Amino acid sequence: MTGLTDLKTLEKRAFRRFYEDGIFDVFLGLMLGTMAVGALVQDWIASETAGVLSMFGMSVVLVVVLMTVRRRLLRSRLGEFKPGPRRKRRIINVRLALLGSVVVGLILFGLVAAGGVSLVSLEVLMPLVWFINAVVVFGAMAYLLDVPRFYLHGFLFGLAMPLMVLPDVLWNYRVPPWIALGGPAAVIVMIGLFKLTRFLREYPVRSITEATNASP
Amino acid sequence: MAVDRLIHEPARLAIMTNLFVVESANATYLLQQTGLTWGNLGSHLSKLEEARYVDVVKGYNGKQPQTTISLTPQGRNALEAYREHLLAALAPLSE
Repeated sequence: MTGLTDLKTLEKRAFRRFYEDGIFDVFLGLMLGTMAVGALVQDWIASETAGVLSMFGMSVVLVVVLMTVRRRLLRSRLGEFKPGPRRKRRIINVRLALLGSVVVGLILFGLVAAGGVSLVSLEVLMPLVWFINAVVVFGAMAYLLDVPRFYLHGFLFGLAMPLMVLPDVLWNYRVPPWIALGGPAAVIVMIGLFKLTRFLREYPVRSITEATNASP
Repeated sequence: MAVDRLIHEPARLAIMTNLFVVESANATYLLQQTGLTWGNLGSHLSKLEEARYVDVVKGYNGKQPQTTISLTPQGRNALEAYREHLLAALAPLSE
């Protein structure tokens, strides 16, 4: 039987388990990977539209697959719970942080569209904004959801754009997208797969028949 | 000073504390959190339900049977009272 733990740790541990499956990490890495694939498609077909469309299509598929797999995997192994008020507040704060990052992105996009930022400074500014945004958003998620490895994911995710753009702008050296985006993506996916294999071993499926026969 | 023996039993205390930190949970969640077997969990939940410390609602999640368990207000108060009793009983040890 699980040893007794203080209530705060108990709640943290219960919630954190729902991110121990590694699926979210795999999803994150693959999302970054779709950007690498989109960039490759753009290069091969020489069409920005094709690149963007392929990226968008893959992202939609990923989201649907993620939600389905996660629900099936977690429900049968960890069960389900409705979080208490403290955790609900934290989840709301995470959503606000994500919304904030979207708003920042839209503002910057608006500035660019309005010609408020020169092209040269934009090329340096956008990767830095990307990096700061990723670190801040994932950092907020790590803090609010009590999942420390999201700090690392924020750093890796944030590294992708500067790695792709800045060498080109500063030293005229173009890092291939499959390295700049694919490298961090691969690391995040590998972390996710490692967590997933461990999760599958630690949390076996509880048989429904067993449950129905023995439940109160 | 009487300690609530219903809560004092380690397995039931684990169930109560795990339910305290959430709004509600299903049986699989409690199993994973407490490490109990299905039979044990069922037996302890029955006792807690009899004392009206927990609510056990049986239903379906799609086609799958689902049991949703939550602490009643009485159960939450009982756990808080239990905590205060223990703290009061052990307080002299910290002096």
